[in-house]
Amino acid sequence: MTAIPNLTPAYAEMFLAIAGMALLMVGVFRKSDPIRGVTMLAILAFAVAAVLSISTNGAETVTFNGLFVVNAFTGFAKLLILLGAGLAMLLALPWARNEGVSRYELPVIMVFAVLGMMMMVSANNLLSLYVGLELQSLALYVLAAFNRGNLKATEAGVKYFVLGALASGLLLYGSSLVYGFSGTTSFAGLADALTGAESNAGVIVGIVFVICGFAFKVSAVPFHMWTPDVYEGAPTPVTAFFSVAPKIASLCLFLRILVGPFEDLMDQWRQVLTVICVASMLWGAVAAIAQNNIKRLMAYSSIGHVGYALIGLIAGTQEGARGMIYYMLIYLFMNVGTFAVILSMRVKDRYVESIDDLSGISKTNPAIALALTALMFSMAGIPPLAGFFGKYFVFAAAVNAGLIPLAVIGVLSSVIGAYYYLRLIKIMYFDGSVENFDRPDYSTSLVMGVCALSVVVFIFLPEPLLAGADAAAAALFQG
Amino acid sequence: MVVSLSHYLIVAGVLFTLGIFGIFLNRKNLIVILMSIELMLLAVNINFIAFSAFLGDLVGQIFTLLVLTVAAAEAAIGLAIVVVFYRAHRSIAVEDINELKG
Amino acid sequence: MIAATLAFYLFSALAIVGALNVIFQRNPVHSVLWLIFTFFNAAGLFVLLGAEFVAMILVIVYVGAVAVLFLFVVMMLDINITMVREGFLKYLPVGLLVGGILLAELITVFAGWVMSDSADVLRAAPAPDPSDIGNTEALGLILYTDYIYVFQAAGIILLVAMIGSIVLTHRTRAGVRKQVIGEQNARRPSDTLEVVKVESGKGLQ
Repeated sequence: MTAIPNLTPAYAEMFLAIAGMALLMVGVFRKSDPIRGVTMLAILAFAVAAVLSISTNGAETVTFNGLFVVNAFTGFAKLLILLGAGLAMLLALPWARNEGVSRYELPVIMVFAVLGMMMMVSANNLLSLYVGLELQSLALYVLAAFNRGNLKATEAGVKYFVLGALASGLLLYGSSLVYGFSGTTSFAGLADALTGAESNAGVIVGIVFVICGFAFKVSAVPFHMWTPDVYEGAPTPVTAFFSVAPKIASLCLFLRILVGPFEDLMDQWRQVLTVICVASMLWGAVAAIAQNNIKRLMAYSSIGHVGYALIGLIAGTQEGARGMIYYMLIYLFMNVGTFAVILSMRVKDRYVESIDDLSGISKTNPAIALALTALMFSMAGIPPLAGFFGKYFVFAAAVNAGLIPLAVIGVLSSVIGAYYYLRLIKIMYFDGSVENFDRPDYSTSLVMGVCALSVVVFIFLPEPLLAGADAAAAALFQG
Repeated sequence: MVVSLSHYLIVAGVLFTLGIFGIFLNRKNLIVILMSIELMLLAVNINFIAFSAFLGDLVGQIFTLLVLTVAAAEAAIGLAIVVVFYRAHRSIAVEDINELKG
Repeated sequence: MIAATLAFYLFSALAIVGALNVIFQRNPVHSVLWLIFTFFNAAGLFVLLGAEFVAMILVIVYVGAVAVLFLFVVMMLDINITMVREGFLKYLPVGLLVGGILLAELITVFAGWVMSDSADVLRAAPAPDPSDIGNTEALGLILYTDYIYVFQAAGIILLVAMIGSIVLTHRTRAGVRKQVIGEQNARRPSDTLEVVKVESGKGLQ
């Protein structure tokens, strides 16, 4: 008989899986206002999962016959994912009440999506990578189309599904080629097989397919076409969720496989990724200028941010990895905060999304204007706000890795990008006021305040966070 | 004339290309796009089974079982999304996806 | 040996013909039928490769479940067949070009496929001798032990697919009369029947 595998490292995932099923039952049998109770419980479940993940987080442990791994890096990535998902869930609560949405499956599906992301981050084998990725993707397809009566939402769902399934297919085809060359699907085995092997056309094609699949999942140019549409069509709290959690998960997994099993082929993947990264930064900066819908604007902004984060990945060093993790942490706060602002843009009980609706709110809603100003300055990368440090660390890593042109392009595109962030601030402070916003909900203001405050006071607390990111990056490079 | 691994890989490659071809060429019918996705996954399965046989390793077959499961789940979600789209638009033509312009 | 070679060419040629028809058929119902045909031939290829269990599962899952689901939706949605073709030719040349290049590249890669020297050592689950233990049993021995993690994960994926499709498509429609057995059983004669003594010469109001 085979012994029962060591379950301790996977406690957080197991808890979340059981919690998801339990929440479904709660939703079915709770008579009044099920979505509120289920959402609260889901946030609680995220908190418990975070605690479990921290408590099992120590030296690198591999279990389930080598399919699953935890170390400092996966622990840090899971914390980021749970934090992003929890904040998005807090935003979903008032939104559901205001819009009269009573379908409690929304938080349940989000819990399963987060489970998929955590499984992805901890994958140590192409098999577990694939199941985690698909669990996440299937849950996200449903979330994108959740507003099923709405023309835009159904269209967003169709687009996201077709392109997402195509990307999964490419990724899978690539993994099959990699498996066929090396005879194994485990990351450790792949590293063995690919080290010192003369570069083989089949493996290169396989890795290019895998990179294309991932580039779609993180919405990097040229696989970004779905992003603006899905961001606009999906319900705003879901968009907030989309913009942080899946991106963090995919980027962390991307980092793990590229500097892990595929490290020896760095010369090859670096070329592909450099093209993707430069295109994302530039297109994210340029295409955003013409947008008038703030959710579409955020879509292009997130495309650009993924480009900056990829710089850390391309550097391929421990410093680059630390820069990327750091960037994702800061990006999380900036993005969730901005979506909290978008969710407080309510005029006469109706959500508005146009940039012009922000006009003159410095007089009518000074608190919101102040928060958005801090967030936008941070996104533009103006010191001493958090966004500046994020960019600084990835650019520094690129320069130290000898990728000076990449860093220069990054600086240039962030200057172009600063234009539209500053345009928002100009609209808020110097244009005439149009309408008064309704009083924002308690939890939306809470999220907005916390995020805006953390980007402002960030300068005082990098030490402990840097230490965490350092440990995470070190765990990635020790083997 | 022995059938080699390359023969199987080429058949899978042709099916995969046809799947991609079907996704991009089809302008009228979303359901055919879903079927093209199934073709792509079938090609991947042929790859895995062929590698599994020629390597003498069972992991490829385990992978195929997973891909089959996920493909069934994906078909269910995909068809549900198509049904929702149809109810909102009264059509499943690809050209009618024009409310949003990416 | 010759029989196996012939079977390979037969199955693969028919699978490709089927795939072409899936894409080019005018009527989506025919496309689904061709898809089933393609899957049958792929199952034949799997049998040739010694993977009987997966071959059978392919037939059962695809023909029995997925293809029927497709047919069901195609018929439910009542699509106008006559217009399905238009606009196809416009994209054909570009599509053929891109597809042809991709295919040519893949074929050049595959024609001289080499495996890593260490592939033999790295195998995680070497296949046992078929005369000792059947394919199904061999798969079962590792699927529920070494690969229990992905097996459970696949279960969660199916659960999400189920919740997702119900959330997206389930609706309570107004104006549809449904049988509610509970209510029928709960009815008592006293709720609906009234025994009235009709006085002669008066009738009922």
